[in-house]
Amino acid sequence: MPLIDENKLTKSKNRNQKIAFFLFASVGYFIVTILVAILSFIVYKGIGVINWNFISQMPEEGMTKGGIYPAIIGTLYLVSGSMLFAFPIGVLAAIYMNEYFKDGIIKRIVRMMTNNLAGVPSIVFGLFGMSLFVNKLGFGDSILAGSLTLGLLVLPIVIRTTEEALKAVDDTFRQASLGLGATKWQTTRRVVLPIAFPNIITGLILSIGRVSGETAPILFTVAAYFLPKLPSSIFDQAMALPYHLYVISTSGTNIEESRPIAYGTALVLILIVLICNLIANGLRKYFSKKVKMN
Amino acid sequence: MSHIEVEMQQLKAEIVEMWNLVSAQMKTAMVALAKMDKGLAKEILNNEKKVNSLELKIDRDCENIFALHNPVANDLRLVLALLRINSNLERIGDIAASVAKFINKSDGFEYKGLVEETHALEMFEEACDLVDDVKASFETENTQLAESIFKRDRTLNELNKNARAIVIAHIKKDPENVESFLSFLAIIRKLERSGDQSKSIAEELIFFIEAKVLKHAPKAEGNKLN
Amino acid sequence: MYKLESKNVDFFYGTSQALKNINIAIHPNTVTALIGPSGCGKSTYLRLFNRMNDLIGNTKINGQVLIDGDDIYAKGVNVDSLRKKTGMVFQKPNPFPKTIFENVAYGLRVNGITDKKFIEERVETSIKQVVLWDEVKDKLKKSAFELSGGQQQRLCIARALAIQPSVILMDEPTSALDPISTAKIEELIYELKSKYTIVIVTHNMQQAGRVSDSTAFFYLGELIEYSATKELFTNPKIERTQNYITGRFG
Repeated sequence: MPLIDENKLTKSKNRNQKIAFFLFASVGYFIVTILVAILSFIVYKGIGVINWNFISQMPEEGMTKGGIYPAIIGTLYLVSGSMLFAFPIGVLAAIYMNEYFKDGIIKRIVRMMTNNLAGVPSIVFGLFGMSLFVNKLGFGDSILAGSLTLGLLVLPIVIRTTEEALKAVDDTFRQASLGLGATKWQTTRRVVLPIAFPNIITGLILSIGRVSGETAPILFTVAAYFLPKLPSSIFDQAMALPYHLYVISTSGTNIEESRPIAYGTALVLILIVLICNLIANGLRKYFSKKVKMN
Repeated sequence: MSHIEVEMQQLKAEIVEMWNLVSAQMKTAMVALAKMDKGLAKEILNNEKKVNSLELKIDRDCENIFALHNPVANDLRLVLALLRINSNLERIGDIAASVAKFINKSDGFEYKGLVEETHALEMFEEACDLVDDVKASFETENTQLAESIFKRDRTLNELNKNARAIVIAHIKKDPENVESFLSFLAIIRKLERSGDQSKSIAEELIFFIEAKVLKHAPKAEGNKLN
Repeated sequence: MYKLESKNVDFFYGTSQALKNINIAIHPNTVTALIGPSGCGKSTYLRLFNRMNDLIGNTKINGQVLIDGDDIYAKGVNVDSLRKKTGMVFQKPNPFPKTIFENVAYGLRVNGITDKKFIEERVETSIKQVVLWDEVKDKLKKSAFELSGGQQQRLCIARALAIQPSVILMDEPTSALDPISTAKIEELIYELKSKYTIVIVTHNMQQAGRVSDSTAFFYLGELIEYSATKELFTNPKIERTQNYITGRFG
């Protein structure tokens, strides 16, 4: 008798493998099914109202008719504003953290703080933004205050992704550059950043997706229930898609009547996020082809 | 030229130098034997030291090439062949030296008649030619020339056999000088040996150039191989 | 005078000692191979000569490291200009994400050279030195990533040569390359020897044999044997060296 029955072993191995396969596959399909269900539900409910007028017109008759143009524009303003704030600061901070900051306790603490910041609930950012930007600094409810608040919210994400992107750059690139007599800054700017760029871009666009969907931080800092005209400066209030969606589904004049518009808004929001992700993917592919490593 | 090629060229040049040295030793020995010239004999014995030190140097260079360059295929065969050719040449050099020693030791006994009778100088010339011809076949990588050596070695064997008979006859006639006769016979046999050395050099050459091993092939077959 | 020298060098990463009392003296225009099992300190030793170990925090060095007789760890040494004396080549070809031309020009540009003609000449000479010119002269403006691995590695050598160092440090320069590219790099090392002093870390014993004049065998941070490569490969003095180069280790 051999010590191990090969046939039996193979059989039980195969059986285990099948069970595991089945489990993983069902979980996978389950997730996909939920996603498809949500998407198709929203598309089904929302596609009816989507047309050019919906995208390009002001809301009418207590938001039961008309379009969501100002909300789209407002969201675009907020996204650009928050990125203008968070991206440079986040990237510079990450460069400092990764390229200059010597390893040690302080670095670990700073990194821990950054990670914790990413875990703070967004409504807390909203409150903080209100008390600092709106009241203390006197920006009032404005695009500026909202952008800064959203910027703060995604700052840890930008820092994290940029840091990861920089870390992924092989050390020999730095050594090769330094070995040629380049300074640290020359090395970072001319060698490390170009190589890390595709991944940094990915982080940027993921943050855009995050920002465009946030409701809580803009609640107290910028969002208006309804504005008859577009904002004309960064100190104006603005409408925004997620908040608009919230408003017309909870406290509109006629909730039932504005339902289709709510779904249409949701669909537009999802499309914007989706487009952001596609762009992120495309850009990453494009840039990584340019700096392909092998 | 690549690094290993440079090293191989150097090694080849050294072996050619060794070859020239040994060939010159043999030719001098032939002249010395014809005249029983002790001055020439001394010269040969002096040069023998050069032969020995060159042999050591080539040995060491082969060793280094093996250790440092890990030769393969024709490079490997060449180094292996050169290593063996080197020791064959050194032995031919030894033969010239023992002829010189023989001349040095020969006091009073008249070998002239014996030399003529046994065609010893003819043998010597043939032995020298063999050394030069294997060298030519090495330098031109001509395997046909190398193969011709096998046949010519046989004439050397033939002459050796005859010489043996003649010397035995002399010993019977003149038992007083048996020692001188025997040392002369030893020289004749060494000349025959030098033919064997040339022959194994030829075998190495064919091994190096055509990657055929002739060494232990039966004689008839060995010649059929091409 | 020796080109490179280390006198009683100890090196620590934190509390663990990576090099123990290393004494090596290297003549100019020679190739020195550093061999030994992984983690024996040979790469650390190589990186002493361009102070690349400085990049890692919490390290300490005792003893002296000399280039041309000058202690490069002395106070007041400018590390950026020190590094220009040495060129470094790495395990994996690592051209920058730039054109072929700009890769080689990089070292000149970061050192403030702007003369266009001068840069062009220097780039051409350097690429010619690594026998790559004929292969790339028509595509200097293309990305360096379009080259094959072996070509990239030669480009990296050209990049190092462009700033005219007198020492080239190579850290397993062929371990990521195919045999043909490896042979080309080895030939190149053999040719560059006439102008540069080369130190090469290699895991490939045969390579050490083929390219180097002297070989240093490291084990657990110690220099076990350092002698002419011919000596070391035919008649090593220390048994441990013999066991290593014959593959009977452990």
